This record gives sequence, structure tokens and C-alpha cells, in this order.
Amino acid sequence: MKVFNKIIMTVMILMGFAIPSYAEKIVMEGSTTVLPIAQKAAEVYMQNNSSADISVRGGGSGVGIASLIDGTCDIADSSRPIKDTELDKAVTNGKSVKAHVIAMDGIAVVVNPANKVNALTKKQVKDIYTGKTSNWSQVGGDNQKIVIISRDTSSGTFEAFSTLVLDAQKVRPDAVMQASNQAIASTVARTPGGIGYVGLGFLSSSVKALEIDGVLPSKETVLNNKYPIGRPLFMYTNGAPQGLAKELIDFIKSPEGQKLVEEDGFVGLK
Amino acid sequence: MRKSLAVFVLIGFIGTCLGIRPSYAGEVDILLQKLVDKGVLSAGEAQEIKTETQEQVKQEISEGKYSSLPAWVQNTKLKGDLRLRFQNLHEKNDNNISKDTTVGRIRMRLGLESKINDKIKAGIGIATGSGDPRSTNISFGGYNTKKGIYLDYAYAKYDPLPWLNLVGGKMLLSDVLWEPTDLIWDTDITPEGAVIGFNKILDPKTSVFMKAGPLVLVDDTSTTSGAMAYLVQPGINYAFNDKLSLKGALSYGYFQVKGSAASSYSNGQNTKIGTSYANNYSDISPALELTIKEPFKPLGLNVENLKFFGEYVNNLAVSNKNTGYSLGFQLGNEKIEKWGDWQFKYIYAMLEKDAVLDILPDSDRYKGKTGMRSHEGALSYGLGKNTYLGFDVYRSWNIVGTSRKAPETLVQVDWNMKF
Repeated sequence: MKVFNKIIMTVMILMGFAIPSYAEKIVMEGSTTVLPIAQKAAEVYMQNNSSADISVRGGGSGVGIASLIDGTCDIADSSRPIKDTELDKAVTNGKSVKAHVIAMDGIAVVVNPANKVNALTKKQVKDIYTGKTSNWSQVGGDNQKIVIISRDTSSGTFEAFSTLVLDAQKVRPDAVMQASNQAIASTVARTPGGIGYVGLGFLSSSVKALEIDGVLPSKETVLNNKYPIGRPLFMYTNGAPQGLAKELIDFIKSPEGQKLVEEDGFVGLK
Repeated sequence: MRKSLAVFVLIGFIGTCLGIRPSYAGEVDILLQKLVDKGVLSAGEAQEIKTETQEQVKQEISEGKYSSLPAWVQNTKLKGDLRLRFQNLHEKNDNNISKDTTVGRIRMRLGLESKINDKIKAGIGIATGSGDPRSTNISFGGYNTKKGIYLDYAYAKYDPLPWLNLVGGKMLLSDVLWEPTDLIWDTDITPEGAVIGFNKILDPKTSVFMKAGPLVLVDDTSTTSGAMAYLVQPGINYAFNDKLSLKGALSYGYFQVKGSAASSYSNGQNTKIGTSYANNYSDISPALELTIKEPFKPLGLNVENLKFFGEYVNNLAVSNKNTGYSLGFQLGNEKIEKWGDWQFKYIYAMLEKDAVLDILPDSDRYKGKTGMRSHEGALSYGLGKNTYLGFDVYRSWNIVGTSRKAPETLVQVDWNMKF
């Protein structure tokens, strides 16, 4: 009997070793615009919470929401509100999708400080970027060719600008494409006829932000929806978030998390 | 306290306004702005409350749509499609004499899947046809005769665990196996039997799957005229990154048909003794599909997907004329859902006469025969929501024997409607 007990004890001890240490794991998936926020927040959160395992991937808002509905991710990152068709699918799959606004995406249209144009309408910006307007004199400026500076098409800022201003029409083919907000600002700063667009966090005295439809871009005008080139950014969960998903969203909405949001050029809610 | 009360009242007000009359949204904005101006809320909090509440109301409205329907309707999904086809077949026989056959055809399929409980689903489908296991088409003609409707599938699915499922009955092919092309199995086949399926996500990049089960080919298994098939297919999905993924599987199928009378729908050139199959089919088949999302984005071209795929098959039960393969690519949208969506597919296929059982391959490729090689080019173009045009061209040749190649060209023009 003693031998039997020893065998049982040995097996139990070995099983104990075989059980891996507990680590809560969640998957975030979706919008490439929200991706930098999600990545940075996950990185900082995991540094402070070693038991947390947060996997972050892009793919686009639609992909993230589809994964949330299918149950293959815990948090769907989205740069747009959920569509009615997606909600219908969620409901038929027994899911109750909950939205969390984590930041605002506000984009400033900038020109060289020497440019005498101070304001444009959203339509004028669209006409400039799609090639319909090619000289500053057509919008109240000097007789000078407009040099279009744009973000590369894979960036979230480009996607936001394309959706909010261009109505998904193509940018003029001779546009100077840049890989970052800083590169746009510095190119506009040294190009007299240049026009570009940057996240609000990247405004500086080296460029001049234009009024759009009569409103200057600022944190306040983006948050109160008066500035027309802005939109909320979302994280969606299935029902009220629990465990690590809740802790992470709470962290992103906290002052510390919102500071990270603003470091990436987005507009924080705090 | 004052702030909490304000937020509570506001959420109720917004919900009521949005639920009853969306035009109140502007008034809600004014109210929120006043609370911001008075310092009760920050601009960020106002934005958060407004947007999250709007989203919550949308969710509740969506749930309300369903709560007024009977439970059985909420648990049942109905789907179907209708296809109108013009088809021309140009063929040359062994004496090099040409023949053209032009037909008009229709295909109608109607199916439903109902959730019996949280773990069990049942599906039933009917379709036009003539009983041919590889086709649900029916040709115009016969002086306006009424056309036949057949049971296309009837299955039960049991999901005891998130990664495990059991399917039994007359099943959809996608529940039985995965294939990148229809080299071995025509996609219209609905196999009969039972299949156990595993699907496990290992990490965000990797998932594995396996399907296995017995299938009934001829019902009487107590005599030599009965015939069974046994399938097993392990596979893997791997995402290298957001843009590049690979799906692969290795299938083994054992079709125990030696001595069994050949199917009346056999069009092929399998070796037979009299009217019975001379061999079993012990097919091992690796298959791969590489998907590249937005492959031409760096060039400024907006193409959703590019796929390369291929399959190989070897019948281990015989040693001669026992292999086949297909290679191809697909370019365009993943699905044709709206106006302007498009997809182009090309497949080259070759099947030797005893590579696979001759009642399985695509029925349009050289009339579904084995012992052939074929090029296929297919273009689909979206005409609007849930409707699209299809152009499919096959150019095929006989590869059995040393005599004529008996080439044929099949052209199909389809108008598809899904509902």
C-alpha cells in the first residue's frame, strides 16, 4: 500500500511540474490606425504586469470585428463605428458587442508658414489632393504650384485622411509620399508651395495649420466634433470586458494610457 | 456626485432620443456641450459618453430586431442561389469530326441550417438536378417539362468542444475535407457518412485542423457489391504576417471499390473488369495554398488577393497511370459581393486514368473524366449586391492511349444570384 501511495505522490508531483505557470492571454486585432496605440499600450502594460500575455495584430477594422464575432480575438480595434451588418451578425452569433472610445483621430492640414492662405474648405482640400486644383491662386494664394505631400498609403493617417477628406478617391499621382508625420511636417516646412497633413500631435511652429470649414484644429475642436477632420477610435469587446481585457482598456483610458495615445499623435480624451 | 448624476441622466436621455427619434442627436450635442461649458464634463468625457452610448443604442436596436421573431426563426438561417447558364461545348472525336452542343441550364439551391441547441445544428438543402452527384444543373428543353428537385444535403453537426466537431449524414464537402482546386472532388459532391473534425488555434499565427471519417459509396456493405471510403486529412494554417499566409494539408483517402459495379454516373476511364472497378483507390494527396493580401499595393494597384495553389495525387493501389496534379492562381477579390468586385482564376490540371475514382473530379473538366489534361480560365465580375457574371473556359485533351487527343472546348457564361 505504501508503494502505491508513493507512486500516486510521485505522479502528482510530476503533474504539478507539468502544469505551466498561469499567464492570462488576450488577442487584440483590427485597425492599422489603432495598431500603434494598441502595440504601445500592450508593451507598457506587459512591462508592468509580467503575467500578462497580450498579442496584437493589424489586418483592418473589418478583420478585427469579424474576429471578435467569431471569437478568435478578445478586443477588436476599429477606426470606425461597427456597421449594422456586423451588428446583425454579432447578434445572430449570440454576441453583445460593447464599444470603448479610446482616443480621437484628428488630422491637421498644414502649409508652409510663408503661404498666405490661412483657411480652406474640406472640398478645396479634396480638390487639391485629387488634382482638380493645382495652383495656390485658385484658392486665394499666390500664383504658385501646389506641391502635394502625403503619407504612404499603408499608414493609418493616410487611411483616415482618405476616408474623411478624399471620399476614398485617389491622391494625385505626383504627390510626394512620406513615411512619417515628422517627415511630412519637415518637407512642408522647407517647401514654399507645399501642403501636407499630420496628426494633431505633430503640429509645430515650423508649419502652419489651416482652418478647415472655418475651424482651426485643436484638441478641443476635435473632441467637440467642430473640426471636420476627426473621428473616434474604438476598441470593441464581447460584452463588458473581463479580466485582462478590462484592465488593458482601463489602462488605455487612464491618464498614463492617454499620454501614450498623444505621443503617437492622436487626441487623448483626458 | 453631481457629475455622476449628470452622466446617468444624460445616458438615459441619449438612449431614449436615439431610440425614438434620431433627429434628437443634435439636441443631445447641445446638452453635452453645455455640460462641458459648465465644467461638469470634460470635452473628452462628453465625446466618450456620446459615442459609446450611440454604439450601445445601435446594439440594442439590433438585438430588438431579433427579439420580436419566434425563437425557431432566430435560430434558423435560410440561404439559396440561382444560376442561369449558357454553355457551348466544341469537341472533336477520334475521327477528327467536330461537334458543337449548345445548351441553356439552370441551377437552384435552397438550404437552411437550424440551431437545435448550443452544441447541435441541423442542415437541409434541396437543389435542381438529375441525381448526378457532381451536378445540380438541369438543362432547358423537353417541351417545357417540369424539372426535378433533389435532396442535396441533410446533416447534423455536434460541437461538444470549441475545437472539436462531429458531422453525420449527407454532408457539405467543406465539412469533409479542404481542397484548393476541384482536381479530385467536384465541389457539388455531398458525401455521405460521418466525419470528425478538429480545429485548434495554437498561437495567433498558427492553427491546425484535421478531418477524418468513413464514407458510404455503395450502400450494401454485407456483399461484395458494397463499397466504402475512408478519409483522413490533417492540415495547417500559418500566417507569416498580415499579408502572407499559407494553408496546407495532406489527405489520404482509401476507396474500397475493387469488384464493385461502377457508378451509373461514371464518365471516366478508370480500369474496369466488365462493368466493375478493377482496382481500389488508395490516394495520397498533398495540397498547398499561398495567399498574398494586397500584393500590388506598392505599385498603387488595389487588388485584394493573390493566391497560388496546387494539389498532387498518387493512387498507391496501382503502379501505372496513377498520378495527377493541378496548379493555378487566383487574382482579385476574395468574394464577389458588389458591383465591380472581380476574380480571375487559372488552373492547369492533369489526371491519369487510375489516379482517382472516376465519379469524383470536376464534372466540367473534360466531362469529369480521368485520363485527361486541361486548362481552365474563369472570370467573375460583380453586377451588384449578391449578383455576378461568370465566364468559364476549359480546353481539355484525352491522354489515354496513343490515338486521338479528342480535344474539347467548353465555354460557360453564368449569371449568379445569391439570397
